[in-house]
Amino acid sequence: MSDYSSDENDDYVLYKNRPEWSDITPLAQDDNEEPIVAIDYTENFKDCYDYFRAIVQKKEISERALELTQTAANLNPANYTVWQYRRDILKGLDKDLHEELEFVEKIILKQSKNYQVWHHRKVLVEWLKDPSKEKYLTEHVLSKDAKNYHAWQHRQWVIKTFKLYDGELDYVDLLLKDDIRNNSAWNQRYFVINNTTGFTEEVLRQEIEYTLSRIREITENESAWNYLRGLLLHDKAGLSNNTTVKAFVEELYESNNRSPFLLAIIVDMCLEQVGAGGGDSNYSAKRAVELCKDLMEKFDTVRANYWQHMLDSIGSESGEGTSGN
Amino acid sequence: MEQLIKTFEPEFHKNYLLYVLNKKLPSSQNSMDTNRSVLMYFALSGLDILGEIENLPKERKRSIIKWIYSLQIVNKEELVSGFQGSPTLNTRTNKTGNTSYKWSHVANTYACLSSLLILGDDLSRVNKQAILESLETLQLPDGSFKGAKEGVENDMRFVYCAACICYILDDWSAINIERMIEFILNSISYDGGIGQGPELESHCGSTFCAIASLALSNNLDRLTKAQFVALRRWLLFRFDRGFNGRPNKPVDTCYSFWTGGALKILDSYDFIHDQFNAQFVLLTQDRYGGFSKWVNIVPDPMHTCLGLAGLSLMEFDGLEEMNYELMLTKRTFEHLRRVQEKMK
Repeated sequence: MSDYSSDENDDYVLYKNRPEWSDITPLAQDDNEEPIVAIDYTENFKDCYDYFRAIVQKKEISERALELTQTAANLNPANYTVWQYRRDILKGLDKDLHEELEFVEKIILKQSKNYQVWHHRKVLVEWLKDPSKEKYLTEHVLSKDAKNYHAWQHRQWVIKTFKLYDGELDYVDLLLKDDIRNNSAWNQRYFVINNTTGFTEEVLRQEIEYTLSRIREITENESAWNYLRGLLLHDKAGLSNNTTVKAFVEELYESNNRSPFLLAIIVDMCLEQVGAGGGDSNYSAKRAVELCKDLMEKFDTVRANYWQHMLDSIGSESGEGTSGN
Repeated sequence: MEQLIKTFEPEFHKNYLLYVLNKKLPSSQNSMDTNRSVLMYFALSGLDILGEIENLPKERKRSIIKWIYSLQIVNKEELVSGFQGSPTLNTRTNKTGNTSYKWSHVANTYACLSSLLILGDDLSRVNKQAILESLETLQLPDGSFKGAKEGVENDMRFVYCAACICYILDDWSAINIERMIEFILNSISYDGGIGQGPELESHCGSTFCAIASLALSNNLDRLTKAQFVALRRWLLFRFDRGFNGRPNKPVDTCYSFWTGGALKILDSYDFIHDQFNAQFVLLTQDRYGGFSKWVNIVPDPMHTCLGLAGLSLMEFDGLEEMNYELMLTKRTFEHLRRVQEKMK
């Protein structure tokens, strides 16, 4: 964390040695006589925050205060008070916020899992009403960690607030081509469709085709199976009445595939059919029982107790197969 | 390759947590400066799970309690009462007064109240009314909570902190529970799990926060049967010889509690074969004490506390049992019950 603090800089001058600060009396932290979880602050850290304590109380709005918050933020980017005070100074001095975007971008690229820097970025974008650099920034961060939650959260916020859905599905495709197991990308796919076309019959048909061919590539990919289930939430006929999906799972099963996700969805299809009065005899309670047995004994043994529970509840309820809570 | 520890070493962890609590962390931890009370909570809670709180010297307990109360802010004008994360803004002259930007943070209020309870304090010096008045202002129209008066994000973590504060103070009148529930239900994803907010990816950290908040406010039954069934399935599939926090992510020690705890709250923990989880968690022990997120990396207080909490869910010998929703031991929970009786 200290790798880009000013500690390593030989030319760095402590605030107590800077003439422009000579009118300020630095204020030490009062940590009580017996501090708890103390930190062995470096000299630069102590010096900077001694001056920070002195001027934050006065709410000084000045160029030097702005400069000080830059050092303070570099020393501890997680200090939300520093960022809040800095924003008040930026506003008070009517500063060029584009420069600030560049400053915070540098920190984000180094500390991409820090809540405060992303929040600062968000506020700046709100003030500027300029989201033009956000897609690029988040793509940069996601190129290093494609599942970074902060980057996705920021990206969703920008897209939703400024209606920037164009091209997003292509980006999602790109990420899924790179890693078909990227659950964040699948989630983004759902987010985009849900907020643009919605899951109309036509879209649903296309998405199901797309998802089934991704599952075909890797049948143990939970993300794709979950997405398929998400799609079927929008199918009025339910989980077990879509002919394309039924044909797909049966073909996969026939080919001797025993992915737990495949078996689990067939169990759920059986339970739905049984619960609805058993319109499709291919999805029976008996088949569900057999699949639960296979799951607990062979294909998903770490969750054996769960499949046993499912099996038991099929016998007792011959319906929804769950005890609820 | 470093030698891996496969047996549980409580003594190492006790020493590690005492070190965090009592010694100086290296300056590389500068960025934890605003969150020292949360680090303290992880250290104390870990020691509590190890059954070591009673062994802390009385004077030390007193000085910790004093330090915690020094972080309390009572500011009814600005409505920023609660606890600070550290004395970063406190100087000898302003320590007890209110100054600009001296605001509480909901995560720190939660961590400080929990820590006081672990230490056996009776919360008599906590200004309950001021905290609740301020908490009220942190709830947003969508039902979520922001962390502090200004300049802090809002998400499911802070919903959980708010719920814990109301539960501990035994007073829910300050917050709009219906809206809170609405936010939680709106954050349920298509895959059954729960994200940090609506439309965000399901995540076991946020799922735990959401489920625990429902449980603490006695609203678990607001999940429909279909939601419950899908959520349970999603959580159970987080188990991959260790728990991960999202589909297709590597297993990580902290999820032995976040995911395991959520399953416990849903009374479904026994559906997984946790022997494998124990093996994984034990492999993330550092040979000098502490747990890390993965095997062979540097330990930290959070993963140490959550690793111990995760082992407690597996009923490891010598570990205190947990109250899952509050993430406190049953020992401390019993104490809270007595404190609440007195508060009435």
